[in-house]
Amino acid sequence: MFKHILLPTDGSELSATAIGQGIRFAKSIGAKVTGICVMPLQHPFSYETEIPMDALEQAAKRYKELAGTYLAAIEKGAKEAGVACDIVFEKNDYPYEAIIRAAEQKGCDLIMMASHGRRGVGALLIGSETQKVLTHTKIPVLVYR
Amino acid sequence: MFKHILLPTDGSELSAATIQQGIRFAKSIGAKVTGLCVMPLRHTLFCEMEIPTKAQEQAAKRCKERAETYLTVIEKDAEEAGIAWDVFYERNDYPHEVIIRVAKQKGCDLIMIASHGRRGVGALLIGSETQKVLTHSKIPVLVYR
Repeated sequence: MFKHILLPTDGSELSATAIGQGIRFAKSIGAKVTGICVMPLQHPFSYETEIPMDALEQAAKRYKELAGTYLAAIEKGAKEAGVACDIVFEKNDYPYEAIIRAAEQKGCDLIMMASHGRRGVGALLIGSETQKVLTHTKIPVLVYR
Repeated sequence: MFKHILLPTDGSELSAATIQQGIRFAKSIGAKVTGLCVMPLRHTLFCEMEIPTKAQEQAAKRCKERAETYLTVIEKDAEEAGIAWDVFYERNDYPHEVIIRVAKQKGCDLIMIASHGRRGVGALLIGSETQKVLTHSKIPVLVYR
């Protein structure tokens, strides 16, 4: 029934678990997966103080490297399981928007994500991005703990 | 990967759509389903006025009848799809507690639930019981829209 699962990652332990289970699930039903990592944008102005250009470039580079590491883990996991895999790197200050847009553009029919991410279980209910994805998407969401 | 899916119903249109998809999904992965309907308790004391026993009995009867109507839909659909099924009815004022407890007791490995139920999309975010299940369940939850 599900053919294409979107697996968002923020590199956290909880999202790594959800990805492991997501790949396992995709394999069991013969679906393909798309991994997505969304990193924040670099803003040249912060409280009216200019941030040096090379600091911005360094930050951008570092985010890209980190995203590359997280997405490589998905590619590796999928390859080992023999599951078709695609990856997306996006820069956006609102991860849930990028997640929903990517799911629609890539034609995903399920989003599988961890109940909490980088900010941990501090958010007593469920993680804020997961909550926002649940609120705004029309695609089913499997929330993994 | 998933072998036993819990399908809570409150008889609403949205939960009916989720049940259909849940049964379709269960069939596609060879899982069994357990339908669950939780109805509210009637309290003997209401604003310090006692409710006559007869009225209570009638309410209990009506709750049970209605739950049976909702659960019959699951039985019928599951039967038609040729999958193993079970149904469960309980009266409790905290549906999410029953959903989580029954999921554990019956050994379900996935709860599939509508994003909204009887109270509709009035809750701008996601339905209150769905939210509470997501908050408290250790079992993965598939939220359907």
